[in-house]
Amino acid sequence: MNYKRTEFGGNIGFTSVVDDKFNTCSIRITMITPMNSDTASNYSVANNIISDVNSKLNTIAAMNEKLSELYGAGLASSVSQRGDMQLLSLNATWLSNRFAIDGEDITAEMLEIVTDCIFSPLADENGFDEDIFRLSKKEILDIIDSSFNNKREYTLIKAREIAYKGEPAQNGGNGTREAVEAVTPVSAYAAYKKLLETAQIEIFYVSPEEAPEVQETLKAKFAAVKRNSQNHIFPAPSPLKSEPVLVEEEYDVRQAKIAINFKYDIDDVDAVHLMCVIFGGTPVSKLFMNVREKLSLCYYCACRMSEFKKTITVDCGVEKANIEKAEAEIMNQLEEMRKGNISDEELQSALLALENSYASFGDTPDSYSSWYFGCFCKNEYISPKEHFERLKAVTKERIAAAAANVQLDSTYHMLNKEAE
Amino acid sequence: MSDREIITSKRTGDSCIHVKHKSGLDVYIREMPGFSTVYALFGTKYGSVNTTFKLAADKEYTEVPNGIAHFLEHKLFENEDCGVFELFARTGAQCNAYTSFDKTCYLFSCTKDYTENLRILLDFVQKPYFTKENVDKEQGIIGQEIRMTNDNPEWRVFFNMLRGMYHSHPIQIDIAGTEESIAQIDADLLYKCYDTFYNLNNMTLSIAGNINADEILAICDEMLRPCEDKGLETVFPEESDTIVEADIREKQSVGASIFQLGYKCLPCSEDFLRKELTASLAVSYLTDASSEMYNRLLTEGIINASFGGEVFAGDGYFSVIFSGESENPDAVRDAVANEIKRISAEGIDEKIFNRIKKATYGDLVRQLCNVTAMASAMINSHMAGYKAFEVVDTVSELTAEDALAFIRNELLADKTVLSVIEKI
Repeated sequence: MNYKRTEFGGNIGFTSVVDDKFNTCSIRITMITPMNSDTASNYSVANNIISDVNSKLNTIAAMNEKLSELYGAGLASSVSQRGDMQLLSLNATWLSNRFAIDGEDITAEMLEIVTDCIFSPLADENGFDEDIFRLSKKEILDIIDSSFNNKREYTLIKAREIAYKGEPAQNGGNGTREAVEAVTPVSAYAAYKKLLETAQIEIFYVSPEEAPEVQETLKAKFAAVKRNSQNHIFPAPSPLKSEPVLVEEEYDVRQAKIAINFKYDIDDVDAVHLMCVIFGGTPVSKLFMNVREKLSLCYYCACRMSEFKKTITVDCGVEKANIEKAEAEIMNQLEEMRKGNISDEELQSALLALENSYASFGDTPDSYSSWYFGCFCKNEYISPKEHFERLKAVTKERIAAAAANVQLDSTYHMLNKEAE
Repeated sequence: MSDREIITSKRTGDSCIHVKHKSGLDVYIREMPGFSTVYALFGTKYGSVNTTFKLAADKEYTEVPNGIAHFLEHKLFENEDCGVFELFARTGAQCNAYTSFDKTCYLFSCTKDYTENLRILLDFVQKPYFTKENVDKEQGIIGQEIRMTNDNPEWRVFFNMLRGMYHSHPIQIDIAGTEESIAQIDADLLYKCYDTFYNLNNMTLSIAGNINADEILAICDEMLRPCEDKGLETVFPEESDTIVEADIREKQSVGASIFQLGYKCLPCSEDFLRKELTASLAVSYLTDASSEMYNRLLTEGIINASFGGEVFAGDGYFSVIFSGESENPDAVRDAVANEIKRISAEGIDEKIFNRIKKATYGDLVRQLCNVTAMASAMINSHMAGYKAFEVVDTVSELTAEDALAFIRNELLADKTVLSVIEKI
């Protein structure tokens, strides 16, 4: 594997990974900008448009026909958030040229499509093309609406809204439904032009063979943009509420769901990370072994960590009548960790699980871009192996201290009406 | 030492090893140097549809409660001494299992000590331990799993569609059963099913990644207990080729209404792969995002990017399903029916068909560099009755005429079921 990161200037980073065991190439171009309720939805709609069409492939049919012709190449946009930053990405994947039956230069064709999408979107002085804009806006609204179809995901969305109320991270990467409704072809295109000029940009290219033309082409294209971009900082700790907040909502569902947000304010991120794995990150974690296996209260009970927001969220699907029992056991297990009741086996199995996870780095093209993007966000370029060595040095005392620092912030209950 | 068969793709040159192990087990190995991960699946051809069965020595068929294959999968994760998760936790491997309609698989993924993990996998699946206490304990966990899936509209719309399509085939029954059916399960029934279906002659091991075939086979020799083939026979009730109900609607707490439009096709008795791939290409042709139908429905706001199609087929069932989000699923049903009528009359555009074949080839080639996808592909192909990589080679042989014949003969208006989950 050959890894190289270069700067284009104008706050644009280009990371190239060449690994000859793959048969696909991929580009991920991520634009990073502060989450802001005034701009988030405009950026999101615009980002969605640029992966659907460009000025040459100017209908969804034409774009799909071309991608299908290129051996089913993939082109998609995505939006997410990290800390208080909004991440808007264009992702493209395609088969390496050596697998082209008819000898096509797939890489050259995909590079042209990607650069046209970014630098030559389907727009004029009146903004984005009206027809494409309408479809794209509807798609974002549909995504927001359909998030309620997945009740576990929806519970976590509600938990996030409660945990980060009043902060930029309160709403997801797409912004609110109302904000999306207000987006127009003109506002979305103006936002896109601003994004291209001001966003911090990270590009990842993963391929089985060297392709210097990819870097050269993108560098030249970006050089033509008048850039005015600032460095962004990802850590944005969410303050602990003065009193824990409980929000309950009732729906026509068969199973109740709970999500509990905790906050911490220490900087020992490695200890917090290990604490989360031991608490609820594996099938031998304290939550799985006790809430599920011993008490048979649920099918899942797990915890996740938002490093930049310094927040930990535990979620679980239970009978409404068992909510109290499940929450008591979750708090009881946290208390055990605070007391330092962590066995050698628990620590060892958490470390082994992490080692296994880190060692699989490099087995998919996406694992490279995800890892190096994580390094970029933390402004710390280390290998997975180096990071694991650091985790290995964490003691039980540090883990207990991390658990002791974790405080209850807020809780969300999705209740089933039938159980009344 | 069992004989090794090297299976090679004519199209890409990729290969894997197949061994019919002396224990009765079929073993598939794909060495993928350069990768860190090893992914192994140890599976039995036993899924939720296998509720009626007998061995050659039995006089009568045994009928068991719905959801028992899935229940058994949960219970195999408990040894006499400790849980299986704990055994894998000692090596750091990730382990899991799943039950589908026609198979149950136990799996691990690891980046070191794969030989030790393989020993654990082969050992625990061959060592059932069911007691009244541990069976009772599982009722609550699986009960919550059933409730969780019943709140999943994708799951509901699918099973409602199957219930509208099949009169008596057990494919219409939820994989996990119901809270009532699993209440009938006890340790004796679990042992009965285990002894019947977890015979190595009915099982497959598939392993891919940075591995050595000799080491794998040596562990198989050490860990596998030879099994006598007891002549397992599973039967399904006779299924009419008509549908049960053409239109099924359910109201749920959802943010977006969803639909599944199913076409009941004739079950496949021979050359399953050819029929499945032909159907798959026909579906891709019908749902092609550059087609007139797709773009008209999209522009009119009737479908969105979630619209797609798939083939759903197995032992005694074969169907084609179109699905997506829509507030006007009747319009989707009419549009698909009209498009089928049009294609049946006018034929298939060969240029478009060849482009779709090319995209399918690209998708299949991409899988060859994915450890997880390769191990899954090997076990799936074996259990479906064709050879690994045969899929890549067969795609290139299919013609537009094959797809047209499928559309004309199998996608019939009177075999259509529309299932919808509507917003409350």
